[in-house]
Amino acid sequence: MNFNSSVFFLFLFIVVLVNWLLPQRSRFWFLAGASLFFIGWHNIESFFAVILFSLFNYFIAKRVSGKRALYISSVSINAAAILLFNFFSESIFGFIFSVSSVSFHVEKFIIALGLSFYSLQNISYLTEVYYKRMRPEKNIFRFTLYNSFFPKIISGPVMFPKEFLPQIDNTVVTKEKLVSGFQRLLLGLLKKMVIADRLAPAVSSIFDHSNEYSGLTTLVASYLFTIQLYFDFSGYTDMALGIGRMLGYELKENFNLPFRSASVSDYWRRWHISLISWFTTYVFYPVAYRLRSLKKMAAVIGLSLTFFVSVIWHGIGITFFAWAICHAIYLSIEVFTKRYRQDLSEKINDKLFKCVGVFIVFNAVCFSNIFFRSDSIGRAFELIKNEFSDFIPGDWLRDFIAPLAVGGHQLDKFNFFSTIILLLVFLLFERKINRISESVSFNVKYVVACILLIMTFGIFDSGTRFIYMQF
Amino acid sequence: MQERLQEVFRKVFGNDKLVITESTSAKDIKMWDSLTHLELITAVETEFNIRFSFTEVMEFNTVGDMMHAIREKI
Repeated sequence: MNFNSSVFFLFLFIVVLVNWLLPQRSRFWFLAGASLFFIGWHNIESFFAVILFSLFNYFIAKRVSGKRALYISSVSINAAAILLFNFFSESIFGFIFSVSSVSFHVEKFIIALGLSFYSLQNISYLTEVYYKRMRPEKNIFRFTLYNSFFPKIISGPVMFPKEFLPQIDNTVVTKEKLVSGFQRLLLGLLKKMVIADRLAPAVSSIFDHSNEYSGLTTLVASYLFTIQLYFDFSGYTDMALGIGRMLGYELKENFNLPFRSASVSDYWRRWHISLISWFTTYVFYPVAYRLRSLKKMAAVIGLSLTFFVSVIWHGIGITFFAWAICHAIYLSIEVFTKRYRQDLSEKINDKLFKCVGVFIVFNAVCFSNIFFRSDSIGRAFELIKNEFSDFIPGDWLRDFIAPLAVGGHQLDKFNFFSTIILLLVFLLFERKINRISESVSFNVKYVVACILLIMTFGIFDSGTRFIYMQF
Repeated sequence: MQERLQEVFRKVFGNDKLVITESTSAKDIKMWDSLTHLELITAVETEFNIRFSFTEVMEFNTVGDMMHAIREKI
């Protein structure tokens, strides 16, 4: 049940309506049940996996406070689930299992156990209880709602227990929340269906046929992939936040205008914020704190280890490893040049310094994302090599416009260029558009514009998944 | 104590005019991120010759929280 499928909208309509009609004290039972139904609709193995792991973490948490051995072993089991998820979802182990007679469903069950966003929240819960920063939850349905709330189970945002659990007893569904949530949901749909999905064929045509293109075309494709990833994932987040609000919950923001970052550390405070704050809290700080006598090297070691864990979380593969190395290097350089950059910013024009910073950071991120998107390390190096050869296309129509505009397959030049215009409008006026979508009063012009754009330019293909659903 | 702490902040953030109050938090100082936070903790520990526990460090949300923890140790 994808967020942009018609069956999901029917499910959503019923859940929002019933939740609104129910008294406050009964809502969490209903939403926990609706979330399990949502997971079970995806596949029955996931349903049983989530129930099993919810029971496991719920009962372990009741005894884990201050008990080191139990804490380490239970966190290891949750972490092992993420590792198994990554191995079984794309490695040869998946193949081995798929050829044995009973295996197919077993494999799906194991994959489901490691639903990565779900597992991170379980680890967070166990850690908070172990360090006595919170008491274990007394009601299993409230705990299940925390780790399985359907708007956030597939791709986040990752919430800390203290951010979500207190909301359960205070959910208020008002007309304003329904309006604002619906407008945010529309924004997400627009970003996903009109921009991200329309950029996808252009990006694929160049990344998947890397030997056919070079120079400017490859460079633009690497820019477009980063923009596609942003609109796909931030679109998903807008939808998750909008749905959460319609049900009375405020989920955590995941993005804050990341393409306006003037440093890579600033970028990581604006991109996938909820995941980064999880990694900072549970990986970076514990490591860097213990090594703090090493001063700046403590930060470098902490960063490297954080990105190493991030690689395991994203998917064990050499391309993700290369992506992580890029960011560990960028951030390490920033650690050692921080004072120098600060002095430089005071000496030259502040706006100019920021513009140059934004340009460098955007290019550095796009460069690292070549590894993130490529299906093999060889392909990534070929793309990078091609970027620096024959920079100006010989035949603009054949080598530049055709692959980008028609995606190699689709005859929809007009739609592609309208997408470029729309994404530029979005990037330039993003703050204003976000403010309108957050408005608590019904904005007829905004809603009509969104619906018209989606109906005219949206890609209605229920098979299109969100990129981050694979993690 | 606040003056000594302010000097540490000025040195770590490289800003001689920085003024801190008990309510000052990471949101008020542009350069105060997770990397600088670590540098700040080490500098404060050296200045006051104390050691913070990991749990204390994780719960510092404002300068006031930090001052409270320092007062308990000196």
